[in-house]
Amino acid sequence: MRWRFSRVDKPSRRPEAVSVDETVGSNLLLSRLEDMVAWGRKNSIWPFNFGLSCCYVEMAGSITSRYDIARFGAEVIRGTPRESDLMVIAGTPFIKCAPIILRLYEQMMEPRWVISMGSCANSGGMYDIYSVVQGVDKILPVDVYVPGCPPSPGAFMEGLIMLQNAIAVQRRPLSWVAGRQSIARPPLPSMKDRKREERSRMTVLPNPDIVYPGKGKSDE
Amino acid sequence: MNSQATILDELKERFGAAVLAEQPARDAVPTLWVESGEVRSVLKYLKSETTAPYRMLYDLTAIDERLRSHRDGQPEADFSVIYHLLSLDRNADIRVKTPLKGEYPSLWTITDLWSSADWYEREVWDMFGIVFEGRTGLRRILLPPGWEGHPLRKEHPARATEMEPFSLPPERQESAQEALRFRPEEWGLTGRGEDTDLMFLNLGPQHPGAHGVFRVLLQLDGEEIVGAVPEIGFHHRGAEKMAERQTWHTFIPYTDRIDYLGGVMNNLPYVLAVEKLAGIEVPDRVKVIRVMMVEFFRIASHLVWYGTFAQDLGMLSPVFFTFNDRERIFDIVKAVMGGRMHPMWFRIGGVAQDLPQGWEKMVREFLPYMVHRLKEYDRTIMRNRIFKARTMGIGSYSLPEAIEWGVTGPGLRACGLAWDLRKKRPYSGYDQFDFEIPTAKSGDCYGRSVVRVEEMRQSLRIIEQCVNNMPPGSYKALHPLTTPPLKEHALRDIETLITHFLGVSWGPVIPPGEVCVAIEATKGWNSYYLVSDGSIHSYRTRIRTPSFAHVQMIPLICRGFMVADLLAILGSIDYVMADVDR
Repeated sequence: MRWRFSRVDKPSRRPEAVSVDETVGSNLLLSRLEDMVAWGRKNSIWPFNFGLSCCYVEMAGSITSRYDIARFGAEVIRGTPRESDLMVIAGTPFIKCAPIILRLYEQMMEPRWVISMGSCANSGGMYDIYSVVQGVDKILPVDVYVPGCPPSPGAFMEGLIMLQNAIAVQRRPLSWVAGRQSIARPPLPSMKDRKREERSRMTVLPNPDIVYPGKGKSDE
Repeated sequence: MNSQATILDELKERFGAAVLAEQPARDAVPTLWVESGEVRSVLKYLKSETTAPYRMLYDLTAIDERLRSHRDGQPEADFSVIYHLLSLDRNADIRVKTPLKGEYPSLWTITDLWSSADWYEREVWDMFGIVFEGRTGLRRILLPPGWEGHPLRKEHPARATEMEPFSLPPERQESAQEALRFRPEEWGLTGRGEDTDLMFLNLGPQHPGAHGVFRVLLQLDGEEIVGAVPEIGFHHRGAEKMAERQTWHTFIPYTDRIDYLGGVMNNLPYVLAVEKLAGIEVPDRVKVIRVMMVEFFRIASHLVWYGTFAQDLGMLSPVFFTFNDRERIFDIVKAVMGGRMHPMWFRIGGVAQDLPQGWEKMVREFLPYMVHRLKEYDRTIMRNRIFKARTMGIGSYSLPEAIEWGVTGPGLRACGLAWDLRKKRPYSGYDQFDFEIPTAKSGDCYGRSVVRVEEMRQSLRIIEQCVNNMPPGSYKALHPLTTPPLKEHALRDIETLITHFLGVSWGPVIPPGEVCVAIEATKGWNSYYLVSDGSIHSYRTRIRTPSFAHVQMIPLICRGFMVADLLAILGSIDYVMADVDR
């Protein structure tokens, strides 16, 4: 780790490519404070109560007792974008609805995050049809994509945990004056790559003609 | 058959040359071609002059006939408009078609005969570009204003990837936001009441009480609703156009997502309609398996309504309980069908696979549990004083109003009429089951709740009979058009192998014809009107959904109530936006 002093009102030039760890660790005092702020952000996400279609019912399922999103500190569902910091695009983004989605996103205060839930929001999915936007990322930035049509509440919560882990290492400016002014976001991993090895080891699949008590056929 | 013959003779005698032709349909619904100039008088006669009149405008839609090849005996037409009427007294339907010529033909409106024709005519204009004359407010309903073209015309592209990629630059966003601005004068509303100034309030498209992206514009005198304009189309997924490009078999997953709380309930009318076209008789086991899974989804859908409706009225805990019960249903659904909300498990001529070993135990355990829970909900919700105060006498309509507006399902039965398709026109073997049709007298929010709650109990009864009497046999019909066919037959000889290969690769070729099959779905009558041109996909698929008719009625039933009552009314209708906009 290289250390340097600089004046607050006259920030020194920094080398172009700095790793996240290095940036985070470059200021001892601030890094402690940043850690705490990020920890707080991570564990108190307030989702926006916004649903477009089928996926929303599964998202609502994750709030209720069997899944209970409150275990991850994200149960404070807000009815207005101005009080929330997470927008879950739960459903199909329609061309008629796109201006409304964007407006609601813009009404959210920074820091704000977006989870694209389900195939329609990810890419249009099975609806390659005239009235559907082929992926919500055509109109706004997305942090986490959750696959499924619709994803089960469990899958949605896995996406939420991924977002939380990402928030925990994201570094945002603590002040308008001091420190770096950009947001340091680590790249999000592709779960397909990460789980490939584990999945390819799986050679015996559950028999669909037998009921497995308490589990059902599709795993979660 | 007799009453059908007489109504056709009656019309022919009375309207003479205006009746152009009679068309045999696979569903045995009398179908008549009438000259476009006379169609209004024929409909008027059917609605009010004949004995046991056809009071309900069940559906109004159109077909782009320009590319159709199998039109045997039908009058020449570029487009045809179809009026589907229903007589509850006769328990009979009639289909009146009118041929239209030209690129953008026009026709006289029937909104003065049926107020409910308003949205249907707007939809036909939106989708086909057919103009209805003599009425106001013929504007886009499902697509955004400023859309170019009419999607269900054959020349309109189906895929988004065939069109210019969508983007939303700031100027487009600004103009779209401007188009969303409500201008009361465009809807014939003014801000001036008799002796007071009125206020306009925009509710939605994003509102937690609106159950989806749905917008109602309210004209208020203080807090009292004077007028309302519902705006839909934020959830239009083009399912009908999709059916023209998917094969008969690969359209099944799209049906699941029409009423997305209904799961396989949506598969049923579709596969029944295709089977009727193809002439497939399914084994008894298939019928009973289908009935059982469909009734599970009726309960699951009603449970979502139960919890969210209570939540709309301010009770925060019931939704946690009912969703938990719904998860228990999903355990069974998952074990049997492998999916949760959209199992897409019914097939043309059967179901996807046989019931798994051990299914009876799961179902038998669930039944007494659910009966007990329903009792508990009676105590906590239905008998709750606040719940009663907020629903009794709110949002009521009379039986004639319900029929006039095309209300079906629990909304109709809450007006005191025990009209259930499962009893009146049994399909899929419902005549073999012992169950009752719950009704209520009041026609208000509470009445609709009573009917749904009681329906869950009846569904449990039906499921119990399914477990006790599950017939043995195959889970697929032995018909060449069954898709996919049973694998063991594929390996028997070259003929069955070829049939199997074609059915799986191209998809089945369904013989030409027209058919309409309606079922008693979770929210009312859901029907698929299929037109086959002897191809691997449908020429036209019309999906008639109950919620479309119910939502259209909102301005009528919320007048005179408070804004808070509107949320009770919306909740009690139990609509799903995907079921409205398709």
